[in-house]
Amino acid sequence: MYHVLTKNTTVTDHNRNLLVETIRSITEILIWGDQNDSSVFDFFLEKNMFAFFLNILRQKSGRYVCVQLLQTLNILFENISHETSLYYLLSNNHVNSIIVHKFDFSDEEIMAYYISFLKTLSLKLNNHTVHFFYNEHTNDFALYTEAIKFFNHPESMVRIAVRTITLNVYKVPVDNQHMLHYIRDKTAVPYFSNLVWFIGSHVIELDKCVQTDEEHKNRGKLSDLVAEHLDHLHYLNDILIINCEFLNDVLTDHLLNRLFLPLYVYSLVSPETSEERNINPQVSLYLLSQVFLIIHYQPLVNALADVILNGDLSVCTPQTDGHSTHKNMASVGGLRRFIKPPESLERSLEMSRHRCRKRTQKRPNYKNLGEEEDDERAAGGGGGSVEPGGEENWDDNSRLREREKGKGIEGGGGGSSKGSRASGETAEEIEMVVMEKCKVSELTEQNITDEEKTAAATRSHAQRSRPFLDMVYSALDCTNDDYHALFVLCLLYAVSHSKGVNKDLLERLQLPVPDQERSSYSLVLVERLIRVMSQAAQPESKVRLATLELSCLLLKQSVLSGDHCIIKDVHLACLEGAREESLHLLRRFYKGEEIFLDMFEDEYRSMTSKPLNVEYLMMDASVLLPPTGTPLTGIDFVKRLPCGDVEKTRRAIRVFFMLRSLSLQLQGEPETQLPLTRSEDLIKTDDVLDLNNSDLIACMVVSKDGCQAQRFLAVDVYQMSLVEPETKRLGWGVVKFAGLLQDMQVSGVEDDSRALNIIIHKPSSNPHAKPLPILQANFIFADHIRCIIAKQRLAKGRIQARHMKMQRITALLDLPVQPSATEVLGFGQTANASPSALPFRFYEQSRRASNDPTASRSVFASVDKVPGFAVAHCVSQHSPSPLSSPSPPSSGSGSTGRCDSVTASTISAQSPADEGAFLDHTPPSSSGAEAEGGAADTMPGSSGPALAPSLTPASQPTISLLTESGSDSLSVESLTLLPPADSPHLHPCARHSSISQSLLTAEGFIPEEEEEDIMADEREEGGEGGWLDETETTVKEVTTELVTPTEEEPGGQEIPAVKEQTKDQSLPAEQTEMHNETIDSPELD
Amino acid sequence: MAYAYLFKYIIIGDTGVGKSCLLLQFTDKRFQPVHDLTIGVEFGARMITIDGKQIKLQIWDTAGQESFRSITRSYYRGAAGALLVYDITRRDTFNHLTTWLEDARQHSNSNMVIMLIGNKSDLESRREVKKEEGEAFAREHGLIFMETSAKTASNVEEAFINTAKEIYEKIQEGVFDINNEANGIKIGPQHPTTNSTLSGSQGGQHAGGGCC
Repeated sequence: MYHVLTKNTTVTDHNRNLLVETIRSITEILIWGDQNDSSVFDFFLEKNMFAFFLNILRQKSGRYVCVQLLQTLNILFENISHETSLYYLLSNNHVNSIIVHKFDFSDEEIMAYYISFLKTLSLKLNNHTVHFFYNEHTNDFALYTEAIKFFNHPESMVRIAVRTITLNVYKVPVDNQHMLHYIRDKTAVPYFSNLVWFIGSHVIELDKCVQTDEEHKNRGKLSDLVAEHLDHLHYLNDILIINCEFLNDVLTDHLLNRLFLPLYVYSLVSPETSEERNINPQVSLYLLSQVFLIIHYQPLVNALADVILNGDLSVCTPQTDGHSTHKNMASVGGLRRFIKPPESLERSLEMSRHRCRKRTQKRPNYKNLGEEEDDERAAGGGGGSVEPGGEENWDDNSRLREREKGKGIEGGGGGSSKGSRASGETAEEIEMVVMEKCKVSELTEQNITDEEKTAAATRSHAQRSRPFLDMVYSALDCTNDDYHALFVLCLLYAVSHSKGVNKDLLERLQLPVPDQERSSYSLVLVERLIRVMSQAAQPESKVRLATLELSCLLLKQSVLSGDHCIIKDVHLACLEGAREESLHLLRRFYKGEEIFLDMFEDEYRSMTSKPLNVEYLMMDASVLLPPTGTPLTGIDFVKRLPCGDVEKTRRAIRVFFMLRSLSLQLQGEPETQLPLTRSEDLIKTDDVLDLNNSDLIACMVVSKDGCQAQRFLAVDVYQMSLVEPETKRLGWGVVKFAGLLQDMQVSGVEDDSRALNIIIHKPSSNPHAKPLPILQANFIFADHIRCIIAKQRLAKGRIQARHMKMQRITALLDLPVQPSATEVLGFGQTANASPSALPFRFYEQSRRASNDPTASRSVFASVDKVPGFAVAHCVSQHSPSPLSSPSPPSSGSGSTGRCDSVTASTISAQSPADEGAFLDHTPPSSSGAEAEGGAADTMPGSSGPALAPSLTPASQPTISLLTESGSDSLSVESLTLLPPADSPHLHPCARHSSISQSLLTAEGFIPEEEEEDIMADEREEGGEGGWLDETETTVKEVTTELVTPTEEEPGGQEIPAVKEQTKDQSLPAEQTEMHNETIDSPELD
Repeated sequence: MAYAYLFKYIIIGDTGVGKSCLLLQFTDKRFQPVHDLTIGVEFGARMITIDGKQIKLQIWDTAGQESFRSITRSYYRGAAGALLVYDITRRDTFNHLTTWLEDARQHSNSNMVIMLIGNKSDLESRREVKKEEGEAFAREHGLIFMETSAKTASNVEEAFINTAKEIYEKIQEGVFDINNEANGIKIGPQHPTTNSTLSGSQGGQHAGGGCC
């Protein structure tokens, strides 16, 4: 090989392939040597192979060889695993020669290989190897300096590689002082200032993009620019995280004084004062939010926040304030070691300019930026004050900076024309300089004028307010649109969540600091937030959902301190007003349509499953464009205005949810009514149920992929489930599948009268997503009768489940109950229109109780935890079913009547049909139900298990029922005799029976005192609930009547009533209804 | 070296799954592992032909840069395709796929084509992840799947080329905005002659169809 190379020292067309092949083989051998035999390296070194490589390169051998060589080197360096081999390769400085070799960088392939080569090398950097790259004597660090030339290369991958290289360089442990100094003194300033300019020019382009946008056409470009800005911020943050103090100071200074303050912050207040160097306030708010969300470096963000929030530096005592701002930066500065000899600001500038000049000359392809940036720095004067001067020079330095800041703010406030010009100038000198790179002569002029201005700025500061903060607050106004408001909210959120921002700073302004105790809050802010909310609740409001959600978030942050809420009554009242408004708004959209239920639940799901993520929101470029209504833009629903009735409805629902949950949370109340179905209330797969006396239909389930299984179909209030027998206990079943009735589709199978096709869709949180079926199967029954029964039962169950939920929405909206659209049960609705809250309450009760852990966790699975207790009574509950066989309506009402008197809770569970009916009769006071829910919680826990013996008398009536019915052993066969319309009976038996038991005991057998306790509890619940007085009293009345019948009626009355009822069981519906009424009416008095 | 399109790829996956070896195998086949070496590389480019068009693939390995959030972020964003690699002999590399995928989906543009690759298929005896599992994962997440061996070069070409085909199809469908270089797609320098190449590609299509 070696010989081949020696022979072919000159590259010609003929030997090109040979050469390439040789180089390749050498690499391969070298790597093999690295992994196996070190003598290979000795030979390599001995013959000085690298010299050949270099020689080849210098011959302008054409890209083919170049690329191969670079790739070879790449491979070589990457695959070397031994440190010593690496040292061999790096010694002799050949690698550096290759680095500085002038490749043809216009060739994108060479460029890519070259930069990857540098990257590979940078990955090999460590404390030892750095010596091979950084030459202390010549003060040269080719790898780094060559790399940063490409920091603004048009090719993004190259830029990324450059960033990687710089980060790798900065990461090298810091015990090489010389190198650090080199980086800081010679490269940091030019690099960072250029970088900052690069970012700045991107920002200006971005702004232009926003301004010139028509009809959202620029969105693609805009999102790229935004992503680019984010990349930059992340990059800056990565540098800052490396926490190399030297670098951080320089970088912080540049960022603050050249980009964030002049371009972003000043743009907030003075869109008209300066010509073009400003960006739109909304753009700057947006970008600032990003800054605060991404960068957490304390000195930087704190100083920035201070300027934004306390832009009053000049008002009271500019000196002190200026100092405080400055100190934040100085504090870190104080920590660092001032090794450099103190030199004057001018001199250091001169010096570095000189150095940079040299550098610029040395590197022609640096695009001559070095020079400008130098001048820029000179022009920047006080603002730039980068050099780490000595102590004495520090004061001077800081004063200058102070002045400049004052100047800027003054300009911002628009106090004096001169000042405003100055601020314009500050921005200008940052941007202008770099934008008009060639006009060096002009720059010197600028230099002078700026100095003049700096001098002028020393004059006494005019009156100042907090222009930035004022701007921020005033932008919260959403009367016309919430374009600005959204960004302001994000900014406030970002600032308050930034780890780098001093909490004192925020607290002084009473800004919301998360997770902190406090006793007061910013009235201005809260009032504005509430105004946003009430505006959001108006019809035709221009407030987007994201804005509303964010303001809710901030409000919570402001007024919730620990566990308690410090909101003032007047604000709370306003908030309640807004909530009320949202309720009214939603009512306008409420129509008894079925789809409303789906929307309602969908919205709730998507709201809870995807809470607003501010960071993601601020990554989305689409919010930068004026709010729009059309979904054709592809913008998320929450980030735009609604379009059409459906979306308006969705929006109204969301607004209602948000304000409701906010109001509940601020008042310290738990949400009790939403979501409409809670997963913990539902039967789950593998639950073990007591199915004695439940209606079960045997069927063969053939799923789509051909699996067959023998199952029993059972229908509950909300769900249908497929069970298989439990092996250990007779009559019990294990749930193999459970699905919501409301999401079910049942259809017959064409050529088989015994089969049904059933599809249950998964409730999806995304309404646009394709519904995902969780069950899709054919159910084959024994015969067509059973099939029809099943079909009807399922269909009715579905209607009833939906109907019940609709009723609950109605209650939630405080709407008067409409006459039921679904006359499923054939009840005369009007007859029972009297406002009896009873059934509903009981329904609630059973529901709530299942959630109460104290109530013996009566979900099916845990049934066995209350042995005997549960089993003994579930039997009784099912008895009505066979009894009521002759006529469907009577069965429903029959059980109702009975249950009403005995164990009302069974009604709800046992026969949803009845319940549906009862819901109709129920007055809109869901409050009753609520309070009862609470009552149920207390009762089973306190009295149920403890008073077990007392159960016996209570269960007597039901036992008598059993005997009457005579057929309590419900086999599957007997079930099929049931009329299909019979309400589905799948029973959480244990649950209901246990409750009913406890209820009974509560009603009849608990000693007086205990009853009173319970009542007290209930009242408390009611009171806490904060329901309107009116309903509250009814609650109390009703509960009193219910729980202590003895107070108003003779104690024994209940039980005879039961017996009476049971006899009436077979009577037609009307009659039972009457009974219902008669029972109800006394209580209504 | 004219090309119609340039596609930028990234390779992601746990360390040691053979990312850089795959890359080297694809870009420089001459490195046959005669000496039983494991050689890899972090960057490579190669020309392929799809549908009668010259397409240049530029592949960037992100290894070693995971510690910088900004870097990974940018890489993802600048790529049109990603090869997500795991090692079939190491279960943990398969288990980490979800994390990688989440990252990729979060940072990349939504059109990025992701190919799942189970590498080291030559080590059948030490296999820990079944091919079916890989297939299932890919199906679940909408990825293309393939098992490869960087050592025997089996399926390596196919992996890169199939990804390119997918991207190419997306371009034809107009899903990718090809004028936006941030997507990781670049139009070749000679592209003004689009019309002639397009008409030419009609003929080429048959040829392309024939070879696959």
